[in-house]
Amino acid sequence: MDQGINRRGFLKLGAFGSAMLATGSGLALLSGCASNDGPATGYRYFRQQDIELLTPLVGAVMGPALAAVNASAEDGMKAYDDLLEGAMPGTRATLFQLLDLLQLGAARWFLTGTWASFAEQSDEQLQQTLADWSAKENSIARMALKGLTQPMHMAWYVKPEAARSTGYPGPPKKILA
Amino acid sequence: MQDLSSLPIKVSDPWKDPAANGWDVIDGRTIHNNRTLEADVVIIGSGAGGGVSAEILSQQGLKVIIVEAARLKTSDQFNMDEGEAYRDLYQEGAMRATKDAGMTILQGRAVGGTTVVNWTSSFRTPHETLNFWRDRYGVDGLDRASLDPWFAKMEQRLNIEKWIMPPNANNDVLKRGCDAKGWHVDVIPRNVSGCWNIGYCGMGCPTNAKMSMLVTTLPEALNQGATLIHSAQAHQLVIEGDTVTGVIVHPLQNDKQPTGATVTLKARAVVTAGGSMQSPALLLRSEAPDPKGLVGTRTFLHPTNFAYGIYDKEIAPYYGAPQSMYSDEFVFKHGVDGPAGYKLEMMPMHPGLNTALVGGYGIDARQQAEQLPNLAASIALLRDGFHEDSKGGRVELRDNGEPLLDYPVNDYLLDGTRRAHLTMLEMQFAAGAKQVRPGHHDAPYYKSWKEAKDGIASLDYAPTITGLGSAHVMGGLTMGQDDSHCTVNSDGSYKYLNGLYVIDGSVFPTSLGVNPQLTIYGISARNATRLAEALSV
Repeated sequence: MDQGINRRGFLKLGAFGSAMLATGSGLALLSGCASNDGPATGYRYFRQQDIELLTPLVGAVMGPALAAVNASAEDGMKAYDDLLEGAMPGTRATLFQLLDLLQLGAARWFLTGTWASFAEQSDEQLQQTLADWSAKENSIARMALKGLTQPMHMAWYVKPEAARSTGYPGPPKKILA
Repeated sequence: MQDLSSLPIKVSDPWKDPAANGWDVIDGRTIHNNRTLEADVVIIGSGAGGGVSAEILSQQGLKVIIVEAARLKTSDQFNMDEGEAYRDLYQEGAMRATKDAGMTILQGRAVGGTTVVNWTSSFRTPHETLNFWRDRYGVDGLDRASLDPWFAKMEQRLNIEKWIMPPNANNDVLKRGCDAKGWHVDVIPRNVSGCWNIGYCGMGCPTNAKMSMLVTTLPEALNQGATLIHSAQAHQLVIEGDTVTGVIVHPLQNDKQPTGATVTLKARAVVTAGGSMQSPALLLRSEAPDPKGLVGTRTFLHPTNFAYGIYDKEIAPYYGAPQSMYSDEFVFKHGVDGPAGYKLEMMPMHPGLNTALVGGYGIDARQQAEQLPNLAASIALLRDGFHEDSKGGRVELRDNGEPLLDYPVNDYLLDGTRRAHLTMLEMQFAAGAKQVRPGHHDAPYYKSWKEAKDGIASLDYAPTITGLGSAHVMGGLTMGQDDSHCTVNSDGSYKYLNGLYVIDGSVFPTSLGVNPQLTIYGISARNATRLAEALSV
């Protein structure tokens, strides 16, 4: 892969990548590293690299919520994939641009404060990473955290069992007339 | 403990068998071959503006075709399930947000538009707002006295009345808090008939009590011979010279991707009623003449901030009419164009939306999620667009033609948010809350009003970490006589093309200071009636 950025690579970076370049942070971003692979087995949208990158983070963000109903980080990841069905291609593209960036150690360091991938960190380290990430004052890091984690919560808690685990009894019963 | 989970709801769906009703309803998912259809009027979008226009124009004997990008979903499928609702009835699956992720945007995408998922609040436009439009933008003939008969007509049509049942516990917090502080508080008028008071307005009313376009104007338009094509996106206007002669439509599959066919619609007049974001995006995709580059600019959101209060007794913010009390104490407190004013309301909270808005991670996020039954959620809607530092956002097109709103959160909005946070915390403590926190990433729960005041003074009011959202997208195709700021005339006609009319909320020169549906109904009824008269000559 090239070390520099050709124009196509630049355009592919989208809002997050372009914003990072504009800060003059001097990152050597790799062009053409966005994957065109299809979805991973059992998923409609997330690619295998997304599953490997993100599942540990889902476990850290949603851990206690998942444990409350004996669910796993994989269940949380599947729920996130389900939520994406409602989105438009443009919505998903913004998320995937961010995920592609997070494949790069330098981008992870800039956005989260930690070079290591989420999969290489223990639960305790991930909680610390989230704490550090939450405390970051640069606007792009804040955008990335919110953009990534807000849908995780919605995705999980729209599932009926997860919803009921909050104390919400659930809706009335619709009966076809 | 309030529990509606064993309440059966069995109500007949007027859309169960459209053909038996004599309705001409075409499902875009079944269109795989090109075809051309002709009409007097094509209406793009079936929401507040489109539904009202369709009824009025078809009642005048005009042949109307309504094009709606969303797939038809009606009360038989309204299962009161958050996940299904966000997926099938909301723009971008309820994941729409401003470009920098600063504000979450809840907007409908349905046959019936956002009226299918709104929370029924119906207010006439404030005098101050309409006078501002007249004075600053040259909006003509739409002062309050001129609009009142149109409001009255739509209030009758949609059974809009002040809610007569007692407020649910969530709304009672606003009432008690404002009463204790001596602030204005009143009952919200709602567009409902025979409401069961269960609170699922935001997921599609399962009893058809909510008088959305889906169960009122659209059925009547179909009765009058209109055609509805759903699951079909208006891609571009057909422009010949300086006249719009039709619309290129792309039928969509279940996954919202084009089937590959093209439907060409030809008409004497085209009404764009896709609402803010969608109507400007259509004009941008069509490269409509726009000499001053105004299309998509001045898009407003009533940027909404939040305060969460925990009470000893159960609140159950997920049950009961979602919005029934409001306060206008602070809407025009600093004049029409001073520091941002705000309207106080409550919002319904179900687990998915609650945890998405509250955010966080780990144990702290889980603990907050588990407090939902004792949570009261208050909101403050900022009145954006009046002050010179509040120019709103700009709609642009993504590479694939989808709309994207670039609306940075600036100091004007952040200052308004800080003041609104203080107001709402004071209100909730006065209503008896044990702990209250503002919707801000760094704010803990405060245990007293004094602690809250000190805490808020130390918060960093910056974009993204300050929780902001919107359920009211407005503007983008500014109406008024002033050509240097406006693209649409007061009668809805687009200034630079014949045969094109904008009849939806994208014409507002500013935000409103009230929930927008009745304003859209009133202005749309007035302009659709004018259009019907013009086409009937």
